[in-house]
Amino acid sequence: MGKPAIMVSSVTNALRGQKLLASHGIRAEIQRSVGKGERKGCGYSLIVAPDKSDTAVGLLIKSGIKVVGQTERGSI
Amino acid sequence: MIYLDNSATTFPKPQTVRNAVSAAMAASANPGRSGHPLSLAAARKIYSVRQTAAEFFGMENEARVLFVRNCTEGLNIALKGLLHRGDHVVVSSLEHNAVMRPLEKLSGIGVKYTKARIFAGDDDSTIDSFRRAINKDTRMIVCTHASNVWGIRLPVERLCALAHTYGLLFVLDAAQSAGVLPLSMADGYDVVCCAGHKGLYGPMGTGLMLLSEGVDPDTLTEGGTGSNSFSLVQPEDLPDRYESGTPDLSGIAGLGAGIGFVMGKGREKISSHEFSLITRLYDRLNGKRGVVLYTDRPSEEYSVPVLSFNIEGMHSEEAAAALGRNGIAVRAGLHCAPCAHEFMKTEEIGAVRISPSVFTARSEIDRTAQAVIELADQRKPKSLRL
Repeated sequence: MGKPAIMVSSVTNALRGQKLLASHGIRAEIQRSVGKGERKGCGYSLIVAPDKSDTAVGLLIKSGIKVVGQTERGSI
Repeated sequence: MIYLDNSATTFPKPQTVRNAVSAAMAASANPGRSGHPLSLAAARKIYSVRQTAAEFFGMENEARVLFVRNCTEGLNIALKGLLHRGDHVVVSSLEHNAVMRPLEKLSGIGVKYTKARIFAGDDDSTIDSFRRAINKDTRMIVCTHASNVWGIRLPVERLCALAHTYGLLFVLDAAQSAGVLPLSMADGYDVVCCAGHKGLYGPMGTGLMLLSEGVDPDTLTEGGTGSNSFSLVQPEDLPDRYESGTPDLSGIAGLGAGIGFVMGKGREKISSHEFSLITRLYDRLNGKRGVVLYTDRPSEEYSVPVLSFNIEGMHSEEAAAALGRNGIAVRAGLHCAPCAHEFMKTEEIGAVRISPSVFTARSEIDRTAQAVIELADQRKPKSLRL
């Protein structure tokens, strides 16, 4: 099982999301998305702790930062 | 050299701006394209400037702060991206070619415009003038915050309210006012376009376009954004929608430092300094034989700190060249604003424009005033006057 990777559309949205999550005590690392299938193409992801994933997605959506997909990155 | 051409671009730039440009050049990679540390650091720098600009201009959503090459590019996007065949636009009688030339181009596809006369120092008459120019096809009011030639300030807060009363868009050309006059997107402007290299003290080749929520012009440029690359359709997300191609990282970094400089010094303090200088110059020149002034004494209520004049019997370019030989850098001619010169009937000889900055010293204004007075004393006889 890897860390949750929340895919957003651009580096600006990744940075906005990182700032937002930090303000709620959630640490997020920015990495390039590993897009495949319907989500292929360039983008960035916010990598968060597994137990913060759902909260993080909710906060991002609520603040208008579009979440374009969710994957897992690497192994813990 | 005494540099008094700050309305064209501020010079010198603050040391912090020069440092920021150098630092960006020294350690940067393409932002928003890759995942390695240099690329992410560049993206963070650009994002931080977006945040700084959003704070300075009273915006909640920094994604609606867009980096453009200059104010002109922003105005082109706003006008060409929002107007369609059959639309009518109201502009002021003092507009720069950054507004007039795009509108002329758009007239080829059926966009019409009306120039509303400005009444300097009489905001009620100016508002009435704009109101009378609105018709059933009017979609937008676009105007300068302040004339780049005469320094005349327009009542843009009231004009914005007028536009919204009639359901129109309001687009503001803030080339001469950003960093000098109070300016907040919270006042309801739909689009504000700014030069980055004038009152914001950033490098040349930088500008900002500020979009309010729900105002999304069509794009003039499409291309690589580093996002959603498999799609051949331009992304809708901001700022990517309007920022195709590799951005000017060093310029943007310098712009951020420039805005930071203005915030640190205090916009009001900078503006007050410049007004003290321009009114001092006005008082020195007013009533002097051979010196032609066109406007009332500059005031913060009705002006920006810019003063244009002529010397009887001399073309403005001759006067500027003569001042240049005395080590005084000013701008003459039409200042890319023929409408503003038609307004004052100076389209034949232009005018000599003086514009100070935060770095201008009172002694430099005094030397300039003396040089202008001496030049006027040496003016050509009446028979040679233009």
